Amino acid sequence: MLSYLLAGLALGSIYAIAAGSLVVTYVASGIFSLAFAAMAFTVARVYYALNTEQHLPILVSAVVSLLVFAPLFGMTLYWMLFRHLRGRPMLVKLMATMGLSVALPPLVELALGHITSVTAPGLAPRPLRTFHLFGALLNADQLVTYLGLVVVLALGVGILRFTDIGLKVRALVDSEALTSLSGTSPGRVSLGVWAASATLAGLAGILIAPTAGLSAESMTLLMAAAFAAVVAAWLRRLPVAVVVALLMGVVTTVVQKYLDPASSFTAAVIPSVPFAFMLLFLLYYAVRGQAGDHAAGGALDRAISPQGGDPTAAPAVSSSLKGFKPGTVSSVVFVLLVATLPLVLDDYWSGLAAAGIALSIALLSYTLVTGEGGMVWLCQITFAGLGAALAADLATNRGWPSLVAVFVAAAIVVPLGVVLGILTIRLGNLYVALVTLTFGLLFQTLVLTQDPFYNFGSGIVMPRPSFAENNRAFAYLTLAAFLVQGLLVLNLRRSTAGLALSAVRWSENGARTLGISVLQSKVLVSGVATFVAAVGGGFLAMNFQSSLPDAFNPFLGLVWLAVLVTLGSRSILAALAAGLLFYLMPSLFAAYLPTDLAQVPTILFGVGAIALANHPEGAVAQNSRALSVFLARLRARGGAGEPEPVFAAPAAASPAASPAAPAVVVARGADGTGLPEMRDLTAGERT
Amino acid sequence: MSEKRRDGAWTEAARNDEVACGLPKEVPHPDGREVPPSVISAAPERIMGMSATVSAPPVSTARLAARGVTVRFGGLVALDSVDLDVPAQSIVGLVGPNGAGKSTLFGVLSGLLRPAAGSVLMDGEDVTGASPQLRARRGLARTFQHPELFTSLTVREHVILGYRVRHAKARIWTDLIDGRGFRRAPRAEVARVDELVDALSLGDIQHLPAAGLPLGMSRLVEVARALAVDPRVLLLDEPSSGLDVRETEELAATLRRVVSDHGVSLLLVEHDVPLVLGMCDQVHVLDFGIKIAAGTPAQIRSDPAVRAAYLGEELDLAEDPGRTDSTQGESA
Repeated sequence: MLSYLLAGLALGSIYAIAAGSLVVTYVASGIFSLAFAAMAFTVARVYYALNTEQHLPILVSAVVSLLVFAPLFGMTLYWMLFRHLRGRPMLVKLMATMGLSVALPPLVELALGHITSVTAPGLAPRPLRTFHLFGALLNADQLVTYLGLVVVLALGVGILRFTDIGLKVRALVDSEALTSLSGTSPGRVSLGVWAASATLAGLAGILIAPTAGLSAESMTLLMAAAFAAVVAAWLRRLPVAVVVALLMGVVTTVVQKYLDPASSFTAAVIPSVPFAFMLLFLLYYAVRGQAGDHAAGGALDRAISPQGGDPTAAPAVSSSLKGFKPGTVSSVVFVLLVATLPLVLDDYWSGLAAAGIALSIALLSYTLVTGEGGMVWLCQITFAGLGAALAADLATNRGWPSLVAVFVAAAIVVPLGVVLGILTIRLGNLYVALVTLTFGLLFQTLVLTQDPFYNFGSGIVMPRPSFAENNRAFAYLTLAAFLVQGLLVLNLRRSTAGLALSAVRWSENGARTLGISVLQSKVLVSGVATFVAAVGGGFLAMNFQSSLPDAFNPFLGLVWLAVLVTLGSRSILAALAAGLLFYLMPSLFAAYLPTDLAQVPTILFGVGAIALANHPEGAVAQNSRALSVFLARLRARGGAGEPEPVFAAPAAASPAASPAAPAVVVARGADGTGLPEMRDLTAGERT
Repeated sequence: MSEKRRDGAWTEAARNDEVACGLPKEVPHPDGREVPPSVISAAPERIMGMSATVSAPPVSTARLAARGVTVRFGGLVALDSVDLDVPAQSIVGLVGPNGAGKSTLFGVLSGLLRPAAGSVLMDGEDVTGASPQLRARRGLARTFQHPELFTSLTVREHVILGYRVRHAKARIWTDLIDGRGFRRAPRAEVARVDELVDALSLGDIQHLPAAGLPLGMSRLVEVARALAVDPRVLLLDEPSSGLDVRETEELAATLRRVVSDHGVSLLLVEHDVPLVLGMCDQVHVLDFGIKIAAGTPAQIRSDPAVRAAYLGEELDLAEDPGRTDSTQGESA
């Protein structure tokens, strides 16, 4: 029993370092870093390169990677990315760090090479020494892990409680504005926080590598487990996070004493422990009615915080349908262009285009849940995977027509999204992101990679409808399905539910006192988004003619989201473009460029999401704005006697002064950047 | 016609004139154009779309009442056993310096904050545990000190949403099935929304998104949105802040019509003390979470506790010489 306990404490220590790092970074910088896993992988990979590949001694490798590289790495990331995220909405922060988590691992592999070995040595010398403690066995890795946690806690508490730097960090947590007024540079303190964050992430990564393996995936699993402790700690209570993390580790190993190690039940229970902890605390918070996302900082910070800058903060579409909008023209042209692809491409590329269009359907679920609902759901790919698996099961094993199977399977998946929504939405957007990622990973492990769905990775056969068996016909069927789903999104946007959703998304208090239920509105869109994701999964399965469970890995889901938000999370056509890009770009690289560069598209997708920090509206909206500005200028020049566009800040000040103000108003950026922001009031940007 | 002095006060004469004569014949628009009198003064039902005029005197059961409301934030007592009544068809003012607890009391009354002790009653029924949505359904609407607008919606959509929440709530579900969002809005909705937009002079900005509106405009949008739900009790948190003298005057006239013609009850938080004293039937004064006085504006003017604790010299500016002999107000 003691052996299980000791092993559990070691695992719990790693969870505790990870959870502690996430909590401290969040409270000190206001950024919840989804890039924690990628940072852990990067530092651990550098350690591996020094220790294993370059054969440097452990101490030298550890000092260089943890005390030299990691702080510099953290500071570089702060300088390049995190400092731009200060004062940004939660959604942008999550997206940008998610982009980093997508871009960083392939970038590191590009620089240091891909490793095939799944396990890597930790900080203890090999071969591992073992010790006997009251009859129980303890290995050197476990001992180093305990020491690691003790050192981190002692240093952390010591610095935060008893030093001038710690005082500044705690002041920054309370109010960045007041801290800067007292002569302390918040930037410099944040630099230190991110340096420490990267070091802790690296330490956790190096410590987990011997048991979980050195890969971005294993680090993400570690991060997801740490999320459970972070959720339990209500995002900011460090002692609770550490205690719960230790407890999770102990429970994970101790339950193994009572379970048959060979049974599939055991294999299912072990990865479920962190999620069970998370669920327990979620239910506890739900019963107690505690809300989660607290605005960081004090009253002064809130008063001076810039508004807007949200990737989905686009003006609403006018309720009038009159007039032919430039956006409509470009939309039709784009759809026609996509429609010609199967005609001009050969069978291989037509198949890829069809896959891209099928993915676009699934991506529309992000358009709904993120673009309309303002939430970050990280398990849409799991809903898609489940939709694919169930549809394939219905079609192949029960003989249902494929299309019917796809839609029925999607309807079956909906309650899952609804329940997750009910559990998390009340707690806040950050909880939604954390819980959905953990849920996705768990569901992938427990269901999608188990039989009867897995079938050695080949999944269940999913036939295409008889009238669309070749790639070209199937591409058109998929495009039609995309347009129907796009219409569904448009309908929701224009409906009263869409108005109510915008209301709850921008001001929960305003909406509630108007009589609108926040939970109902957000759960409604989550349900619809789950349905759309599952339909997309069904079409992807039809495209591959198999449910292919590995194609719905949650890590890939992050890339899906990165591509979509890069192009625009609110535009329906951006989803179409993103789906095509996701499948065509890597194939173009593979076909025409050296294989070394195969990962470049993923890096670019991640970098695109990172760019949201400065251009939150996404590429499509950004370019359509630029186009609208250009067209407006042309019109203004062409129409003699027409008034020039009014340049005024704020925009609304102008109409009263000039009733004949043109439709195009250029306003000062609502994000407080002072950049002019184009608002074309007749041409809806959300195409 | 009412006159607002540079310090924001309405003279008593102007106020009496308003009460005696009803609405102004015409109200100039901020941009200098004249708004048709029909929009402003004629057919009040058409403007506010509410049921028949309430002419009965206020009943004893207040529409909204606080009984011994206490709120603590950690060790700070933000509100200490505060009582307050908002009778039918009346304007009740709530004044006090910064940090007095006015917005906290609004939070408790609207259901966004739970009191540590005490209760909130609507029409005599305890709603302390009821959600903001439930209170909204019972006819409570409010505006906020920092306007809580829906950034991506246009001004008009704010009013439309308010209207539909009250009159067509089922559309939240049915629109998804029948696609009514693509069709022309019903005439009744268009007419009602037009009336509210016109009444608050929002016509020129109605198709602009709420993001980036100046503070004064944002407040008017909030008021329009709140009126769109046909409230029985309307809580207004500093409605005149950010408005110029003329806009304040127009808003005050609109609000008075809402009260006199449709029997709505108003509870008004204002820093502009002269405005409150010029407009309200009853005024409550909070200081450090404690109600230090309540009474008619005249009583408040002459209350020594209020003078000492809050109003000070400013009171003299707003004081009406003809009302100095008023009786002493209730002091806490």
